[in-house]
Amino acid sequence: MSAAALQKKICMLGGFSVGKTSLVKRYVQSIFSENYLTTVGVKVDKKSIELSDRLVSLILWDLAGEDDIASLRMSYLRGAAGYILVADGTRPSTLEVALSLRQRVEADCGPLPFVLLLNKIDLTHQWSIGDAELKQLQDNGWRVRRSSARTGEGVEDAFRDLAIRVAG
Amino acid sequence: MSEPAATLEWLLRPSSTANGIDRRALAGLLVELARNVGPPHAAAPSGIVPIDPRLEQLRGLLLGREIEVLSRLSEVVEDPEQLAAAVARVLPTAIAQASTDARLGQVLAPALEKATQTSIRSDPRTLINILYPLIVPAIRKSIGEMIDETFQSLNETLKHSLSWRGLRWRWEAWRTGTPFTAVVLRHTLVYRIEHVFLIHRHTGLLIAHAAAKDAASQDPQLVSSMLVAIQDFVQDSFSGAERQGLDSLRLGELRLWSEPGPFATLVAVIRGNPPEGLHDGLRAVLARIHEERPQALEDFSGDSSGFADVEAQLTECAALRQAAQESSRKSSPWRVILVAGLLLLLAAAWGLQRWRSDRLWDDYVERLQLQPGIIITQAGRRGGKFAIAGLRDPLAADPQQLLRDSKLDPARIVAHWAPYQALDPELVLRRLRLSLDPPPSVTLAVVGNHIAASGSAPSLWLARARAVSRTLPAGTSGFDFSGVRDVGDGAIGKLRAAIESQQIRFNNGEPLPPPEENAVLDRLATQLEELATLSAAVHETTRVTVIGHSDATGGGTFNLSLSLARAEAVRALLKKRGIDPDLLAVRGAGPLEPLEAEVSDAARSINRRVSFTIEFEDQQ
Repeated sequence: MSAAALQKKICMLGGFSVGKTSLVKRYVQSIFSENYLTTVGVKVDKKSIELSDRLVSLILWDLAGEDDIASLRMSYLRGAAGYILVADGTRPSTLEVALSLRQRVEADCGPLPFVLLLNKIDLTHQWSIGDAELKQLQDNGWRVRRSSARTGEGVEDAFRDLAIRVAG
Repeated sequence: MSEPAATLEWLLRPSSTANGIDRRALAGLLVELARNVGPPHAAAPSGIVPIDPRLEQLRGLLLGREIEVLSRLSEVVEDPEQLAAAVARVLPTAIAQASTDARLGQVLAPALEKATQTSIRSDPRTLINILYPLIVPAIRKSIGEMIDETFQSLNETLKHSLSWRGLRWRWEAWRTGTPFTAVVLRHTLVYRIEHVFLIHRHTGLLIAHAAAKDAASQDPQLVSSMLVAIQDFVQDSFSGAERQGLDSLRLGELRLWSEPGPFATLVAVIRGNPPEGLHDGLRAVLARIHEERPQALEDFSGDSSGFADVEAQLTECAALRQAAQESSRKSSPWRVILVAGLLLLLAAAWGLQRWRSDRLWDDYVERLQLQPGIIITQAGRRGGKFAIAGLRDPLAADPQQLLRDSKLDPARIVAHWAPYQALDPELVLRRLRLSLDPPPSVTLAVVGNHIAASGSAPSLWLARARAVSRTLPAGTSGFDFSGVRDVGDGAIGKLRAAIESQQIRFNNGEPLPPPEENAVLDRLATQLEELATLSAAVHETTRVTVIGHSDATGGGTFNLSLSLARAEAVRALLKKRGIDPDLLAVRGAGPLEPLEAEVSDAARSINRRVSFTIEFEDQQ
């Protein structure tokens, strides 16, 4: 164990089948099986990020993706330093889910640093979220990134971005 | 044209004897052949005779061999026995070839099942014989395994029971009243703490972690967060709003104990079978950490640097393990030998002591049994004491006295004696001694099975003894007096007779004897002295009475006084000769006890005399 590492609890939130699990599967350190998601409803992974002055370990709580916001176990959010909202760029409805999830989290935990990932950017011809919409969100001060679990585009940056903000 | 056509129709009708030949087609064929040979025959089918033997001939020529083969085949097919024989020839090959086809099994299965059932029903031994070579090795193998298992467990048990440790556990089981197996389990199942996590309650982040040496380890940060997640899950799912988390998980031989604190939770991963008391130990560590670093714990936000001291405490915790087995293994053999030797010595000393007291007791009981007048009905150890009970004649030996001689501790003996009267000769003798009070000259002894008295005794005592012997209880051994000499007989008797035969003569009216009687007096004095000596020797008192007599002449009163005076005079004269006057009683008989009728002076002279009587009495 790296004793000096700074740990931060980060929740991964998003609607059903937006690619959260794929994001963490390839880019994080994981020891638990995905079965935990369906049984316990959460799976914990770790993403270590080397910042200029220190190592930050993001303890990622991957919460089971559900479109039903009410079923979200808020206890899993307790003590989170930030969160990652994931939406599927090919399905605008998932963005709606992500927005309402953010509201829910905001209501329960107060304002927390977060990153919105619009995933599946590799499926360009199916992409259905307009730049205007994106710009509108960014204008609200949101960190929005396009990402692809398949190519890795935007993933590392998103984690790093969040790490800097929660470690600050 | 119609008639020949009808004839043709008739000709071409199916015939039963035509062997199924299409006559129309055949006729057509023949006409065609004829036309080819000679055109004039073109329109003369009427030339066909109803049964043309040539046709048969043609058939025979053309198909003779085939017909033969077919008839042989049909014969085989139609005759069941031949068909069976034919099928039997090819059946094995056919089945072998068809065995690849799954349907064969399906088709055969019901028939086989039925056949097997029938076979078992008719004679189960057949099936048993068939299965025997299969079943027996299987059974043997299973029994072998079972024996192996039993042997192994027996071995374990023996190992534990015969070792020093096993003995100690037996002692512990006996002392605490728990079954031996439970004690063995408690000691053999050691536990060890493999991991200790200190987890921040609010964020679920790991504050500090320590692992035992060589404990398999996953990323503790992930493990701790997942633990919190699982705890949250359980809490959400089952205990509703309660702030009661999951405090114990068990997975095989791994246990997970969670001790919640205000800001941090201590989670220990334990392998084995930890005692409940370990909870207290973990709680104490957690409380100490909270005491030392309350602020740091509360403000924890993921930075675990600066918790080195906490980690040290956890490391201490992670070193915890069951120590009982270790210590027993460490105890060096000489200590065991010493303790065992000491125990052996103690046991030997105790055994010797017990053996000695048992011997003493046996001796005591044996001695009591030998005592006449004591009958032992019960003797044995009872709760560390010796108990004895029986019958005892009050005249028998005193068991207390025997006990004092035996060196046994009287405090350890409980005795109960019921009184009775014994008929043993020895006891009868003792009883007789008490009741008869024999004079010292009599010796009473047991001779054979009766009591014999010997020595000498006065007649009176003898008479009393005889009376007593008659009152003895029936069945008592006899009492033989033949050995007792009546003191009236023998030397003393002769002396008595000698003294009693003597008289001292007196002259008429004289109270003193004439001088010529001095010789008689001297002799009497000697004899009386001898009598006194003899009676002293036989412990008897001799009573000598000196009796004065007178003749019948003269007054009665005078005669009485005279006779008494004569007796007194003789006593005085004897005293003068050294005889103790206390031995001599005097009596005056007057003329009342004459020796002879006084018909002459000579007779009167004989009656004027002093005579002696002697009686023996017991010396009391």
